[in-house]
Amino acid sequence: MALLGKLHRRIVDVGLVPKIVASLPVISIICALFSVGWFALLPMEGHYRRTYISENALMPSQAYSYFRETEWNILRGYRGELEELMDVSIPVRNELVSTWLEEFGMKTAVYHDTQHGDTLYGLLHAPRGDGTEAILLTVPWKNADGEDNVGGAALGIALARYFSRWPIWSRNIILVFSENSNSALRSWVDAYHRSLDLTGGSIEAAIVLDYPGSNDYFDYVELFYDGLNGELPNLDMVNIAVSIAEHEGMKVSLHGLEGPELYENSFFSRLKVLLMGVKSSALSGLRKQHGNEAFSGWRIQCVTLKAHGKDGSHDITTFGRIPEAMFRSINNLLEKFHQSFFFYMLLAPKYFVSISSYLPSAVAISLSFTVASIDSFMNNEYKSLPFSTIYNSKAFVAWAITVAVSFAIAQLFLHFPAANLLIAASLLTSLSPFMPCVGYRISRTLSFRLKSIAFIVFGLVLTCLLTVNFALAFGMGLLAYPLTLIRVSQNGQQYKTLRIKNTLLLIISNPFISMLIITALFEPDLEGIQILYELASAWSDLSCWTWFVICIGWLPTWILGALSTSNKPDLLSVDGEKKEQ
Amino acid sequence: MRMDATKSIVACFVTRLVLSALFPSLQAQLDKSVEFSTPMTSFRSLCEGVYMLKNGFPLYGGGVVHQSPLLILLMSFVDSEHLLAILYAAMDTVVAYHILALTRYFTQSLQIPLWLPSLLYALNPLVLLSCISRSSVIFTNVCVSSALLCAVQGNVVGSAVAIAGAGYLSAYPILLLIPLCGMGQNRQQKARLIAVTAATLAVLVALSYWATGSSWEFLASTYGSLIRYEKLFPNLGLWWYFFIEMFEMFLPFFKAVFNIFVVSFIAPITIRFNKQPFYAFILCLAWITITKPYPTLGDSGFFLSFIPFFQPLLGYLRYPIISCLLMLHAIFLSPIFYHLWVDLGSGNSNFFYAISLVYALALASIIVDLTWAMLRIEYDEGKPNFNLKLTQI
Repeated sequence: MALLGKLHRRIVDVGLVPKIVASLPVISIICALFSVGWFALLPMEGHYRRTYISENALMPSQAYSYFRETEWNILRGYRGELEELMDVSIPVRNELVSTWLEEFGMKTAVYHDTQHGDTLYGLLHAPRGDGTEAILLTVPWKNADGEDNVGGAALGIALARYFSRWPIWSRNIILVFSENSNSALRSWVDAYHRSLDLTGGSIEAAIVLDYPGSNDYFDYVELFYDGLNGELPNLDMVNIAVSIAEHEGMKVSLHGLEGPELYENSFFSRLKVLLMGVKSSALSGLRKQHGNEAFSGWRIQCVTLKAHGKDGSHDITTFGRIPEAMFRSINNLLEKFHQSFFFYMLLAPKYFVSISSYLPSAVAISLSFTVASIDSFMNNEYKSLPFSTIYNSKAFVAWAITVAVSFAIAQLFLHFPAANLLIAASLLTSLSPFMPCVGYRISRTLSFRLKSIAFIVFGLVLTCLLTVNFALAFGMGLLAYPLTLIRVSQNGQQYKTLRIKNTLLLIISNPFISMLIITALFEPDLEGIQILYELASAWSDLSCWTWFVICIGWLPTWILGALSTSNKPDLLSVDGEKKEQ
Repeated sequence: MRMDATKSIVACFVTRLVLSALFPSLQAQLDKSVEFSTPMTSFRSLCEGVYMLKNGFPLYGGGVVHQSPLLILLMSFVDSEHLLAILYAAMDTVVAYHILALTRYFTQSLQIPLWLPSLLYALNPLVLLSCISRSSVIFTNVCVSSALLCAVQGNVVGSAVAIAGAGYLSAYPILLLIPLCGMGQNRQQKARLIAVTAATLAVLVALSYWATGSSWEFLASTYGSLIRYEKLFPNLGLWWYFFIEMFEMFLPFFKAVFNIFVVSFIAPITIRFNKQPFYAFILCLAWITITKPYPTLGDSGFFLSFIPFFQPLLGYLRYPIISCLLMLHAIFLSPIFYHLWVDLGSGNSNFFYAISLVYALALASIIVDLTWAMLRIEYDEGKPNFNLKLTQI
C-alpha cells in the first residue's frame, strides 16, 4: 500500500490527472488512429495464424471419395432433363423433380409460400443413428446473380441419389430446392423450425451449391461464409471446405478474388481479403445473398460453394466431391460444432485472425467515443454544475425524444420507403449549425451536455455490437467518427468557418449519407439510394437487424450531434449563464 | 414542495401500471431473463407454488418452488392479472414513499429537492423493470426499506418486525439486523430489537409450518437451497461459475466459504461507521447485493436508489465516471453475452461470467468509492475541503 500511496502522491504532485483531462480530445483521436492502425497491421506476419482443423472427429478427406466418372453419366442425365425444365413454372418443376427424388427413396414435400416462393425439399432418413439431426444440401433454382442453377440442381439430385446408396449416414440428409437464394430459402428455414410437418431434426450444417450453366468443366471454387447479423459459421466448417477443395486440387477464392489474385500471398493481398470480409459482413443481407445467409440464427453452420469459369481443368464431379467429403466429415461429428472459432476473420483461405487479435481495434474506436463524451463533460466551464441541473435533465429528455423519433422514422420507412425524403431531411438537419441565424438557438451548456450524452450512448452501442457484429460496429464507428470533431463554438472564435466545418462534418457522419457514399465507392452492385431500400427489405424479408441498429444506434447520436451545433457563442460572460439557474 | 413530493409517488405508481398495461408481454420476457429473475425469486416459480397450493399438492415436492410459504399463501388470494399488476406497482410505490419519508429526515444535511430521491427511484430503470418482471425481490425490498424508515423514526418494534420479514422472505437480509442494532440509541433498545426480531421470525416460521401442513420441509427448500446454493443457474452473481467446474468433494467447503464471505463484512462495516449508522446500513445492503448467491438487477437498483442520500459525499468520489461506465456496460452487455452463449451458441459461458465480474467490479468500485468519501468527510470533520488531496496508505 505504501507504494500505491507514493504513486498516488506522485500523480497528484505532477498534476497528471488535470493534464490527462485537458488532453482528452487528443486521446480520443489517438484511440481512433490506433484502431485503424491496429486493424491495418493485422495482415502482417505474426498477427494472423494458419487455420487448422480443431475438431479431431472431422477428419476431412481421410476417406476416399467415390463421386467420380461413374456418377457423371447420371449427373448428365439429370442435367439434360433439367435444362428442358428451366422454362417450366416452378410448381410444375417441383412436382416433376419430387418424383425423381422419390424414385430412390426420398420423402418429399413442398413448402408453399405465396410471397417469397415455393420450396421443394426431400428427406433421406439416416440408416444409422436416431435421426434427430440433419445435414442439408441446398440448391436454389436461381443463384444470387439470377442465373439458372442447372449444374447445381443436377449435382444435388445426383449426390442425393448417390448418398441414398451409402449405409454410413448417422444424420438425416435433406435436399432443398428453393426458388431463390435469399428470401424464399430464408422463409423455408424459418418454416422448418416452426411449422413444417416433414422434418429431419435439428440441422447441424448446410451446404449451398451454386453451379450455374450446364458446362462440364469449371475453373475454381468460391466460398461464401458471412451470415446475417454478424454471424459466422464455425471456423472448422470453413476449414473442411477449404481443405477438401484444395485436396482435390481446386483453388479456393474468397470475396470475389479471381485470376492471379488467387495465387498471391502478400501483405496487400491479405489486407484486401480482410477489408472485403469486413465489407461483406457489414453489408450482409444488403448485398447479393448466396444462400448461406438464410441459415443464420438457428445454430446452423453453413457455407456456399460456387463454381466459377466454364473451361477450367476441373470437372463437375470434382465439385461434387467437396459436398461429399464435407458430408462424410460432418457425419463423423459426435457433438455440435464447438471446437474451433466462432469469431474470426479470414485473410486467405488458410489464414485467419481470431477475436483476441482484432477486437482491440473495435474496442479502441468505441473508447474514442467514450473519451469524447467525457471530454465534452469535463473540458468546459460547466463541469462543476451540480448533477441535478436543468441542463442534464434537458439533455436526457432530448436524448429520449431523439430515440423515440429515430424509432418512429425506422418504422415509418418500412411502410413508406421514401429514401429521397430521408436524404433530403438529413441534409436539411445538417444545416443545423446555421439555425442561430434564423433565431433558434440552444445554450452552450446544453450543447456540451447533448454531445456528452450522444457520444456515451454511441460508445455503449458500439461496445454492445462489437462481439455480435464486429464488422458493423467497426464500420459504424469509423463512419460516425467525424461527429466527435464537431466543436461547440467558443467566445470570440471565427464561427463562420466553424459553422461550415461543422455542417460538413455532420453531412459525412450522417448514417444514411455515409452509407450512400460507401456503397457508391465500394459496392458497385448497389446503385444510388438502393441501399436504403435494401436495408428495409432485409429487415422484413430476412430479419436482418442492420436497419434498426443504424436507426436506433446511430441516428439518435447524429441528431443530438446536429442539435448541439445550433448554439450561439454567448457574448455575455459565462458567469451570466451560471447565475441564470 | 409537498405537491411535488406526492407527484413523484404518483409517478412511481403510474409508470409501472402504464408500462405493464402497454407491454403485456414484457413481464414474461423479463421473467425469463437471467438479469431479473432467479430460481429463488422468479414469478414463474411463485405461480407454480400458487398452483401447487391451490390443487393440494405438497408445495415443495417438485423441487421447483423456493419461495417462502406465507408469500405463496398470500399470493394465492390474488388471482386476477390486473390485481397483480396493481399489487406490484403498489409495492414499489410503498418503497418510493419510504424513500420520500426518509428524505424528510435528512433535509438539513441534503441540498437536494425533497422529491428527487423518490423520483429517481420511480424512474430508475433497474427497479422499474424488476417491478414489471414481478420478481419477489420487491417484497424483500419493501421490508428492508420499511425497516430502515422505522429505525430512523426510532420505531424499534416496527423496524424489528420489518427486518424479520425481509429475513423470512430471502434469508440474507437478516444480516441487516446488525447495522440496525447500530442504529439503536442504547443497549435496551438494541436488546429489544433483537428480541422482537427473533420473536417475529419464530412466529413467521411457525405460521409457515402450519401453512405447509405441519411439515418442516419448507426450511430446506427455501433457506436450505438458498444457502447451500442448490440451483446451479447462471446469474449476475459471483457464485455460479465457481461451482460449475468444482469437484464435488470441495463443494460444501467452498459454499461455506462463500457464505462466510457474505457475513464477514457486515459487522466490521457497522463497527467502523458506528457514528453514521444509516450509511453503514446502506453499505451493508450493497455488500449483500454483491455477494449474495442469487442477485438480480432489482437488488442493485434498490441499493443505488439510496445514493442521493449521500449527496454531501459525492464531491469526494474519486472515480464516479468509471463506476458509472462499468455499471452501464455491465447492464447492457450481460443480455448480449447471454444471447451469444445460450441462443446463438457462438459465445460460451466465459463471456457471461466476464460480464458478471464487470458487474461485481462496478458495484465494488461504487462501495469502495463511497467508503473513501465517508472516511474523507470524517477526516475533514464534516466541513468539505475538496482542495486538500489525501492518499490512502
